Amino acid sequence: MAHASTRRGPAFYFLAAFFALFVAFLYGPMLIIFLLSFQGTSGGLTFPMRGVSTHWFVDLWSSSRYGDLGGAFSRSVILGVLSMLITAACCLFAGLAFRRKFWGAGPLFYLSIVSLVVPGILLGLGISQFFQLLGFQLHWWLSALGAHLSWTLPFGLLIMFAVLNRFDSSWEEAARDAGARPAQILAYITVPILFPGLIAVALFGFTLSYDEYPRSLLTVGGLNTLPIEISNMTTNVTTPALYAIGTVTSAISFLVIAIAFIAIAIIQKNRARARGEKA
Amino acid sequence: MSGRSSGSSSPVAPYLQVAPLAIVMIAMVGIPLATVVLLSFWESDGISIYPAFTLANYREVLTSPVTLSLFLKTLQYAAITLVCTALIGFTCSYFLVFHVRDLKWQIGLFLLCTIPFWTSNIIRMVSWIPFLGREGLFNGFLVQMGLTSAPLDVLLYSDFAVILTYVHLYTLFMIVPVFNSMAKIDPNLVEAARDAGARPWQILCYVIIPLTKTGLALGTIFVVTLVMGDFFVVRVMSGGQSASVVSAMKNEIDQLYYPQASAMAVLLIMVVLLMVSAVLRIVDIRSELAR
Amino acid sequence: MTDQSRIDIRKVTKLYGGVRAVNEVDLTIDGGAYCCMIGPSGCGKTTLLRMIAGHEIPSSGAIAIGGEDVTALRTGDRGTALMFQNYALFPHLSLTDNVAFSLRVRGQGADQRRAAARAMLERVQLRHLADRVPSELSGGQQQRVALARALITNPKVLLLDEPLSALDEFLRLRMRVELKRLQSDLGITFVHVTHTQPEAIALADQVVVMDHGLIEQAASPRQVYGRPHSPYVARFMGGQNVLAGKIEKVTGAVAVIAAPDGTRYDLIDASGLVAGAPVKFSVRRDRIALSDAATAARNAAHGKIVNIEYQGTFVKVSLDTGRGEEFIVYMDDDEYLAAPKEVGQVVYATWKPELNHFLRGTNDSAGTPHE
Repeated sequence: MAHASTRRGPAFYFLAAFFALFVAFLYGPMLIIFLLSFQGTSGGLTFPMRGVSTHWFVDLWSSSRYGDLGGAFSRSVILGVLSMLITAACCLFAGLAFRRKFWGAGPLFYLSIVSLVVPGILLGLGISQFFQLLGFQLHWWLSALGAHLSWTLPFGLLIMFAVLNRFDSSWEEAARDAGARPAQILAYITVPILFPGLIAVALFGFTLSYDEYPRSLLTVGGLNTLPIEISNMTTNVTTPALYAIGTVTSAISFLVIAIAFIAIAIIQKNRARARGEKA
Repeated sequence: MSGRSSGSSSPVAPYLQVAPLAIVMIAMVGIPLATVVLLSFWESDGISIYPAFTLANYREVLTSPVTLSLFLKTLQYAAITLVCTALIGFTCSYFLVFHVRDLKWQIGLFLLCTIPFWTSNIIRMVSWIPFLGREGLFNGFLVQMGLTSAPLDVLLYSDFAVILTYVHLYTLFMIVPVFNSMAKIDPNLVEAARDAGARPWQILCYVIIPLTKTGLALGTIFVVTLVMGDFFVVRVMSGGQSASVVSAMKNEIDQLYYPQASAMAVLLIMVVLLMVSAVLRIVDIRSELAR
Repeated sequence: MTDQSRIDIRKVTKLYGGVRAVNEVDLTIDGGAYCCMIGPSGCGKTTLLRMIAGHEIPSSGAIAIGGEDVTALRTGDRGTALMFQNYALFPHLSLTDNVAFSLRVRGQGADQRRAAARAMLERVQLRHLADRVPSELSGGQQQRVALARALITNPKVLLLDEPLSALDEFLRLRMRVELKRLQSDLGITFVHVTHTQPEAIALADQVVVMDHGLIEQAASPRQVYGRPHSPYVARFMGGQNVLAGKIEKVTGAVAVIAAPDGTRYDLIDASGLVAGAPVKFSVRRDRIALSDAATAARNAAHGKIVNIEYQGTFVKVSLDTGRGEEFIVYMDDDEYLAAPKEVGQVVYATWKPELNHFLRGTNDSAGTPHE
């Protein structure tokens, strides 16, 4: 921490060590499986590494032992993108609505909180039985999408509340005063100003859906999503292929997070560009 | 004169804006939960379920000694996890807020703590296996250092592994709200306390902890409900030796005993909501969100 | 231009739930006038301004601009432009795009509207900052951008919601001058909401004093300051002492008033009054003579000095006359220094009878500007 300008006490070093340990605790195990996923062909689930290879990644791709990984992957990505778009849109408008008083605002807010705290598998049971009672078939793109939204929407709504805290509604009034119609206000003022926050909501929408397991389990119907396939692999697969799929799916998550962060950073930078010119 | 609603936008606008969210939440949360409650009064024979109105499922759940031990086990998991996550979460947030002075570093380190939230829980759980296993890194280290003669078995597939995984997965849910509350504390308050002659531990107890209460409460709700709703970690990381309420429920679902599972679920939801509302009674979380 | 930008407000009421924020207000603002609306917060001045702008719709009554009824017309279509208290500049747009915004939503091409916006920025001396974003500007610069944005559509009426309140004292005085100059250059109607009395008096052709959703007085600054309509206006605008008494007798237009302590006052302009009626009247604080010894029995007051404040050009002396309200005298500083006073000393104030101003209005609230 080279930026330290004043003297640090022993408390600082103790806390810094504690924090560093926590970060190691958070990331250490993941790093181990990333390493082990490059295990040599004859290597096992633990150290030592017997050579370095991409054998287990190829194995994932080519072997039929691991079920329909490709299909599950594409379903999860599609679900993630759908959840992302629906979450961003629903939460934007709902967040705007919650700035005013309306009938049912309280119950709807509490229903969202209930959805966050109720065990996921139980909600999955409810959704699947509700579909059954209506005589509907379970489909990953319908019942599982609904289950994912029951998880992503409340999160998105809470983030939207935080984002809107810093949104001054006189911007919208100023636009209306200038003669803008509601659609123009939305397109030229509200959405552009809120855009970094919307990216954060979208990031939650995608990743929470992409990694969702308990709510999906009973609602996907015949075709599985990737987390369900992976959870099956944890009990069936005893080769480093398990780590390889972990590395692949984590890499995708990290990629999505990086894209979101970079997008937010670029927008913030553009807004502050004048500051840079002045300096 | 700010907070006034604008007179010239339509009064139906908020209803139209909130409709998509409301429809999804009612269809995918409200009605399914009602379905679970409904099912808990139905009958089943392990092959199919039949509409009925019977209290037999509740009688079975409430009179079975297994139920009580499942709940106690689950609460025990929740309590230990809560204590660990609260201590870690508070200490890390305290370090970030009061010891990292550069805002860029503060935000960067905070994000470092939160990034795993956006990755797969299953993979993060699995990643403990090569570390804790019989031939795992930790046992290898212990044997090499001569601390134990033979590898320890209790590290993996035990309650220890279950709780370790919980702490690993859920500490983020404590750090984020606690950090948020703590970051809003005006540094002048700490200065004023020091000025008034308070010692560091007094500042901690009388200023910082009371002002971090809402964050701790929010984190508590997250951690407790997540632990109580889990079935996968307890099943895999205990190697099938321990069970929680939801993992037992999952077994009943697998055997198609939906009504019994539903009765257990209703009981669990009631316990969870009771605990959440108890926490909400102590602190006003909506005001925290509004800040 | 003049008639085109006249504002007629007829029996306008605005209800919020059961609260009458604005209560059956009638007001005409002449085209090309500088109108200041003043009153304590919650008096309805901002609501009235927002109804003229079209951001609020009256619960009843009608508003016309240039003779055309605009009561139900959309904001943006009624020839008004509102300048917001916090300026509400769009944080994600450059100054050029902020100023060009109205033209953009009217479908004007990018090159054309940007050229117009730059010309407008030139006019407020900010052309060199055209590509900056608002967060980079000082308060005074932001205010000029907000002005430019409001004026780009050539409005008939410019509405200003506490435009100077976010600025520091020095800048406030400078911008006040600029606003006045701009208004006389453009020749359009300015309606300016403020809670600062000197600002209203310095800028306005017409001052509208409001309280509890009602207009107490709408007149020239000289009238409002010198000849307030009610005890409330006298106290709120300052510069006056409010006194009370009962009419003893009326002779023609001249009445004699007896205060509770027995002092007699001559009221010149008392037409329509009858003996026995309670009345309130005011006396300008800067027209009163103070002396250490009793001089006259009529048109006078006396009391113990409770406070002395040096104000630069004058000295403010506060007396406790035992009538509840403090009695204040502004003494010329030379005159004061010639015979300095002390707190606790009893002094005698006298003034000419023609200075007694009858307060016809009945609003007797304290008029303290609660910020």
